[in-house]
Amino acid sequence: MDRARGAERDYVNTRHQILCVWSGVLCPIVMFTGLWPMAGFFPPHHPTASAADIAAIYQQGTSGIRLGMIFIMLAGALNVPFVAAIAAQMLRIESGRTPVLSMTQLGAGAAGALLFIIPALIWTAAAFRPDRPADITLALNDIGWISFVMPFTLAVVQNCAIGLAIVSDRNAQPVFPRWLGFFNFWVVLLFLPGGLLTFFKTGPFAWNGLLAFWVPATVFGAWYFVMAAFVIKAARQQAA
Amino acid sequence: MRPISSALDTTARGVPLPDRPPRHLPGEAGIWLFICGDLLVFSLFFVTFLYYRGQELALFRAARLHLDQGLGALNTLFMLSSSWFVASGVRAVRGGAARMAPYCFALAWACGCGFGVVKFFEYRAKIRAGITLNTNDFYMYYYMFTGIHFMHVLIGMGVLAFLTRYTWRGACDARKIRNIESGASFWHVVDLLWIVLFALLYLIP
Repeated sequence: MDRARGAERDYVNTRHQILCVWSGVLCPIVMFTGLWPMAGFFPPHHPTASAADIAAIYQQGTSGIRLGMIFIMLAGALNVPFVAAIAAQMLRIESGRTPVLSMTQLGAGAAGALLFIIPALIWTAAAFRPDRPADITLALNDIGWISFVMPFTLAVVQNCAIGLAIVSDRNAQPVFPRWLGFFNFWVVLLFLPGGLLTFFKTGPFAWNGLLAFWVPATVFGAWYFVMAAFVIKAARQQAA
Repeated sequence: MRPISSALDTTARGVPLPDRPPRHLPGEAGIWLFICGDLLVFSLFFVTFLYYRGQELALFRAARLHLDQGLGALNTLFMLSSSWFVASGVRAVRGGAARMAPYCFALAWACGCGFGVVKFFEYRAKIRAGITLNTNDFYMYYYMFTGIHFMHVLIGMGVLAFLTRYTWRGACDARKIRNIESGASFWHVVDLLWIVLFALLYLIP
């Protein structure tokens, strides 16, 4: 009787973990849907575009932008269960230790969810009164893009915490493969160029540039799928 | 000897090849994933640089002349020396002269410091001359690439400081040697990247 109940609990728990992981798989998909077909913010606006051009974008695509931003806000929230699923598996690595790395990851990841929501709110404000003076819309659009592409610091802390935990795993059967730790360290490197985008309006380090936007965005998107695959694997291994 | 390498060094009939030593991957496999990824990123940097250089050839050629090649060469010397010290440290650990190792790693660390001091004076001279990362495209790449490389140097110096402490007590087992090799491999990459940067920014006429 007790054993049966225990088995049932493990099963339910694994199912919830996998549910949380799927939230992480949906996150980049939902975000991309909001950003691209709905808002038309993909590829990013040119940092050198004139106030009149930017105002025209908001005047012509008002509804799409308003709707797309709701999707981006949803994507931000979908981060939270995913980050929790990663933390739950990191806690297995840190079992018997003080789980500071799991907590760091959870904190940085949960705060990172706001870095999707805040730009979406700013762009929403820009689309709220599209007929206002163009310069104001331009400023709001700038704030939106800068707060969307530039903040790399939380992701750096989050990925370093994940990497460090994986590399320090002493379990006989490790929770994650060791190379996944080094993969997380590598992703950190790719975030660095975005941090200096305020200095540039053209070229690869501008907010629409190859090294500040395209490369980090691609790898960050891929990071969700790679992590999701291995968190599901770890959750199944935990139940076995 | 690990099973994979011994399998590679036997013929189909299972006769060992006497003249080929067993293959050895220094450090652990994961660090090589990181290193290859890092090289991939920097390759992308270099291709980007060469592409934009092709677009504004005259500007890049003129801007390069303002760089101090003497300081660049001095830093190359620091990097090459530090790599030599690191390699000596690894050889000492492998060859049973483990007491020498911490001195080698400490000297490599000191070379890293020298690199940092030279870089500080180089940046300061540029900024005092009014050359910043917004001056032109050449200096944008100069500051961004050498800056990101300098972050590698700082991380690498952290690794070297760790290796110095790690080898302080002498004798090392196989697991320790593997970790030392991982750290040393990373430092060699920091050195390699600088050499490419030096050629690309300071030397190509």
